[in-house]
Amino acid sequence: MSAAQIRFLTLWRREVNRFLKIKKQTIGAPLLETFLYISVFGAALGSRIDELHGIDYVVFVIPGLIMMAWAMNAFSNNSSSILQQKFQGAIQDQLSSPASPLELLLAFSLGGFMRGLAVATLTFIAASLLVDLPVDHVLVLIPALFLVGFFFSQLGVLIGVRAEQFDDVALAQTFVLQPLIFLGGVFYSAALLPEPFQTLTHFNPVYYMINLVRYGFLGFTEADVALSLVALAAAAAALFAVNLRLFTRGYKLRA
Amino acid sequence: MTDPALLTNLDESHPERALEVAELVKRYPTGVEALRGVSLAIEPGEFFGLLGPNGAGKSTLIHCATGLAQPTSGAIRVFGHDAIDKYAEARQAVGLAPQELNLDWFLTAEETLDYHAGYFGMPKRERRERARELLETFSLTEKAKERTRTLSGGMKRRLILARALMHRPRLLILDEPTAGVDIELRLELWHYVQRINDEGTTILLTTHYLEEAEQLCDKIAFINEGEIVAQGSSTELAARYAVANLEDAYLALVGREELSRSRVQELVS
Repeated sequence: MSAAQIRFLTLWRREVNRFLKIKKQTIGAPLLETFLYISVFGAALGSRIDELHGIDYVVFVIPGLIMMAWAMNAFSNNSSSILQQKFQGAIQDQLSSPASPLELLLAFSLGGFMRGLAVATLTFIAASLLVDLPVDHVLVLIPALFLVGFFFSQLGVLIGVRAEQFDDVALAQTFVLQPLIFLGGVFYSAALLPEPFQTLTHFNPVYYMINLVRYGFLGFTEADVALSLVALAAAAAALFAVNLRLFTRGYKLRA
Repeated sequence: MTDPALLTNLDESHPERALEVAELVKRYPTGVEALRGVSLAIEPGEFFGLLGPNGAGKSTLIHCATGLAQPTSGAIRVFGHDAIDKYAEARQAVGLAPQELNLDWFLTAEETLDYHAGYFGMPKRERRERARELLETFSLTEKAKERTRTLSGGMKRRLILARALMHRPRLLILDEPTAGVDIELRLELWHYVQRINDEGTTILLTTHYLEEAEQLCDKIAFINEGEIVAQGSSTELAARYAVANLEDAYLALVGREELSRSRVQELVS
């Protein structure tokens, strides 16, 4: 293995090891949260709603919950890992190493990506044990989930780098991300909303992500699949380019 | 990118200097100019002391040399590698023990060393052996599996020094390594850094303990308000300020001659 490979693997291992060391908080808690959503919105509320677009309500919400688990965990892992390391000054150890800005960015990004992948996979396994969850379009589902994970990993890195206090991360998560995800149609179909909310939902990027993932699992979507995939890939690439520029400039990382 | 014009200010007759800094300027976005055209050279194998009052620019200079701060202008070379354009090679040669106890709370002492060496591309077996050796050297073997936040201040300081040495740097930068440590540890650290210096490691030391600098350093530079104001051996510096020792030379630099021990003694007697 070359020195560069060892370096990158170590940077990445550090990020994964960090969340595994506190797995009750980073894996256990999000799993419980998703299970509670399935119970409340699926089992309790679902018994009243019955079906949406001919799909069992509980099955209808699960793809959105899986996407939400990946997105939220990728975001919160990266934002808090970077901010914590900046706060402790420990990030200086990586910054003063020979690692390139690209290596640093990829390693920080992949930490959250892996945590999101772990929680989403466990959610999928648990959900599959509870209900009959189909996977209709695996060739859409896998790239869609990977792009969602990558997009929110990048968003987490961006917020973590920009943040100066823990409040900054909480602000982005509570007041921006969570409302966008909840109002993106995880628990309902946008077609059922009255105007102007139905039209407003179409301006929410998360709406298209949920539809992609829902299409991958259930074969049902309210948005154009190809266009959504291309837009998501472009957004993820743009965010990655912004982050790479910040890492290269050392923005809020190097004095 | 380093200004090519400034690279020419580096002395090409000594391409392998451990550290060479030319007309380094660091201006923070707040407008504060922490370094104002600093130039200095440290030869391989030298034990070099950088002394100056708080806020003089010592840590900023160190941060510029290690990639933690980005110079506004000027040039820095580490063993012939430009610290900006060839940062990977330059940083590979440097070990930094910073002033702040900047350890990762999530890691154990052993992991701290292992990850650091990994960042510098050291293979697993070598990392494990080197970590064991340094934990032993710094009396940290029993604490190897403990998380860093549970360690005492002195142990954290030892671990930071061990971490800086993990990848066998050719230039070791010690930014106030003995600040706040007990006498026993301070003497231990002195002996250790003296030994590795004898073995060939170049050392750049910043300290507020002048006797430390006097005993350890071959050459000393005074930095004040972002400028190198004098450099030489402790004897040369004392002669330059026409005083008896390094401490008095330092007091002359900061304009506090009235605090000189000899003067206080005269007053008492």
